[in-house]
Amino acid sequence: MAYQLANFPFLTALLLCCVAGLLAILAIPARHVRAIKIVGAVFSGLTLVISIYLFIAYDQQAGGYQFVERVAWIPALGIAYFNGVDGFALPMLLLTGIVFFTAVLTCWEMELRVKEFFALVFLLVTGVFGLFMSLDLFFIFVWFDVSLFPMYLLIAIWGSTRKEYGAMKLTLYLLAGSALILPAIVYLVVQSGAMTFDLLALMEGDRFTPAQQRIAFFLLYIGFGILAGVFPFHTWSPVGHVAAPTAVSMIHAGVLMKIGAFGILRVGMFLCPEGWQYWAPLMAVLATCGIVYGTFVGLSQTDLKYVIGYSSVAHMGIVGLGLSTMTVDGINGAVFQMFAHGIMTALFFSSVGYIYDRTHTKAIAELGGLSRILPRATSFFIIAALTGIGVPCLASFWGELVVFMSCVRVYPLAGGLAIGALAVSALFMLRVVQKTCYGPPLEKFADLQDITAALAVPRVILVSVIVLFGLFPGLLFDMIHTATIQLIGLR
Amino acid sequence: MNWILLTPELTLLLAAALFLVLACLKPNPRRDYQLAVTMAAFSVAAATACATMSGDLFNHVYRVDLFSQVFKALLAIGFFLVIFLCDDFQGVAPSHHGEAYFLLAVCTLSMMMLASAVHLLAIVLALELSSYSLYILVFMRRERRWGMITGLRYFLVGASASAIMLFGLAMIYGVTGAVHIDMLMQRLPAMMGHPMVVTGLLLTLAGFFFKLAVFPFHFWAPEAYQGAPNQVAAFIAAVSKVAAVAILLRMISMAQGNSDLLARGLIAMAVISMTVGNLAAIAQRDFKRLMAFSSVAHAGYLLLAMLCMTPAGYAAAMFYGAAVLIMKYTCFMVMTRVADDGRNLQIDELAGLHRRSPLLALALMMALFSLAGIPPTIGFAGKLMIFVAAMQKGYLVLVLIAMANVVVSLYYYLLVLKAAYLDEPAQVLPSIDLQMPARLVAVAMIALIVGLGFYPTILLDLVQAAVLRLP
Repeated sequence: MAYQLANFPFLTALLLCCVAGLLAILAIPARHVRAIKIVGAVFSGLTLVISIYLFIAYDQQAGGYQFVERVAWIPALGIAYFNGVDGFALPMLLLTGIVFFTAVLTCWEMELRVKEFFALVFLLVTGVFGLFMSLDLFFIFVWFDVSLFPMYLLIAIWGSTRKEYGAMKLTLYLLAGSALILPAIVYLVVQSGAMTFDLLALMEGDRFTPAQQRIAFFLLYIGFGILAGVFPFHTWSPVGHVAAPTAVSMIHAGVLMKIGAFGILRVGMFLCPEGWQYWAPLMAVLATCGIVYGTFVGLSQTDLKYVIGYSSVAHMGIVGLGLSTMTVDGINGAVFQMFAHGIMTALFFSSVGYIYDRTHTKAIAELGGLSRILPRATSFFIIAALTGIGVPCLASFWGELVVFMSCVRVYPLAGGLAIGALAVSALFMLRVVQKTCYGPPLEKFADLQDITAALAVPRVILVSVIVLFGLFPGLLFDMIHTATIQLIGLR
Repeated sequence: MNWILLTPELTLLLAAALFLVLACLKPNPRRDYQLAVTMAAFSVAAATACATMSGDLFNHVYRVDLFSQVFKALLAIGFFLVIFLCDDFQGVAPSHHGEAYFLLAVCTLSMMMLASAVHLLAIVLALELSSYSLYILVFMRRERRWGMITGLRYFLVGASASAIMLFGLAMIYGVTGAVHIDMLMQRLPAMMGHPMVVTGLLLTLAGFFFKLAVFPFHFWAPEAYQGAPNQVAAFIAAVSKVAAVAILLRMISMAQGNSDLLARGLIAMAVISMTVGNLAAIAQRDFKRLMAFSSVAHAGYLLLAMLCMTPAGYAAAMFYGAAVLIMKYTCFMVMTRVADDGRNLQIDELAGLHRRSPLLALALMMALFSLAGIPPTIGFAGKLMIFVAAMQKGYLVLVLIAMANVVVSLYYYLLVLKAAYLDEPAQVLPSIDLQMPARLVAVAMIALIVGLGFYPTILLDLVQAAVLRLP
């Protein structure tokens, strides 16, 4: 595939921003908490600026891979430091930039072991950015694991509610996923006969037989699928999200789960189109199970964070459903949904985090009437809930609509079930909103302080993004479309 | 005869002689330590300076080539690092420090000979010499309770393994009539279908499997690690594994890749080693026992690389051998610093390490992640090479089994990490103050683990060139 090397290494600059931030944080003595937070905000803001610039500067007419950088890394194994972005990667970079920046601002009030926390978050985000931009299988795997292993400490030290159990479960599940991905990658590299980890080189020509593609795609689908919350491997996700501290939940549900779906797309579907075709019905079935199961289990939850955790499972099921249709619309919708869900769930966790920090409870039964006491904080929560339901003019609507339209055509039964489940989920989201926000205000919460202007900034950013892409979905769809037609054209 | 070729060995011999003199003088731990570190540093310098030499010595019994020299450099570095840890050598009575240094030097010397020996008798001689020094070293533990029993057990298992090995060698000699590796190389491949040859070869390998702690020759490991002084355990866990890799590569490469029977035997051992090692490690509470079982598991990974019987597999094994040296040493370094009175460290006792010494906690974290094969660490680079080599031979299922093992191992490594980063000690413990040299070594280890993980090309090119010296 033809590509042009970039004049200026924007992508490496993006990574270096994270690394520089990490080093700067490590260099500051732990007692200067405020300085660490400011440095964190500055560097995460820089990454946001660069990712916005990349999104705007990408030439949609030309399409393909742009801002490409390539340096031979381990020549003996055919590994290169090879970065480039297309219409799939750019929305993800933008998402990461937004969620990262807002997550850093969200934990402005944090006091416990701040230096280590910020250092680990920066490390995690370096891995996320790296994965989205990498076009070399070796680096894709390396970044995948770099983004996972800080999670254990992040949850186990700063978390709540069975944090050690949640952290261990999450880490083992996700690394079990990577235990399937690595053999699949090595298998493909070796079977290609070219001994190269270069994704684009491996895509050229018919390198793999259908049988090889089926084996590899299955391993990749399950491996990355665990991270994407694919039913029945999703059980780490609600537990992990509940245990994690707010900022980590935001990054994890907002960005990390997208890595899983993105991995299936970038590695599985790009390299094994016939394997994809073979397993697509299975993907559709599992995705539908995830949607229905996530919705109904969510119905019976009593913990606010569990509700969001299960809604994430359902929403990621929509992504899987879109990918399984193998149509242009389905993939467009799936990637759009990845972006929209990332922003929405970040807003969700961010607003719930604020409520939890004040009320010290996440139990729905103990909350009530909060909209009188915390009008601003609850409004963010309600907006997130409405986005989750798929209300028009908010971003998620478009992703869900497009996915369901294509799904009903390809898999009528799955599409019908998913739409039905979504209607139920609207019911339960509204119930949660009603129980926590409305009703008579509770005595014990009467003197809680509402969100201040400074703390509202990250939430306002997230809301504006949701509204922006809800009103102008074309901004994102046109971008994604450039990559989708290329992928479908491959087949 | 060109004596220059023997510089690394001669340096160690000189060191050993000096240490023997020390042992006869009035004990003075400070002076002994300084001299030992100096001599060890010399041996590193000598081994690296001679890295590119090649030649034959003693009527082709002893071969110096890139393969052997890289291993000698690794051994010398490992020797230096272990000696460096002995600044607070509490596990051994001060009056025995000289002897301990002497035995460590002799052991390293014999392991260097093992890397170069290409004659079966020379191999046996070198192997026995290294084993015997280790038996005594394990005995030297100050607390009698540990030293006696474990030393004896270690000795008995080792002696049995040697006997089995000699029997195997006799069988090979009986069939082929050859004792020189070059000659065996010519004759063995044609005879690999012969059951006696395969049995003989497997029995011979038993002696080396004992060193590497491959199942079913791993029973000594947990006891010996636990019973030995901490520094000696570090030496067994990190340095002696390098020598075992060297000699196993030499022996397995003799079959020249065309032996299904041998490969099957090795596959079984590799799979069982990984699984047994990892499962047993989960139940351990003692840090050294945990490391011992993790060694058994790593022996399985190493064997997986070797049984590919391809240059890529040999290179992977060599790379991973170096990785094991660095990772295991780092773990033991942390343990020795925390248990500064020479006691056995329970995993719980790591509690609060992140506050007592952030540097050591970080080093431990990187070493554990590296052992678990998480990128970007040297352990991951090594595992990737192993998997590529195995996949080239079509062992997809083996790779999946190995990866499943990696996930199991992650569980107990995370428990250790949890102790160091999360748990708080029952009472407040003082921070651990490291001297500047100790800090530098810790930083160097972290840099090596991450640096060679991200950019393994330097070491990779070296080992790939080195294994070309094997046939």
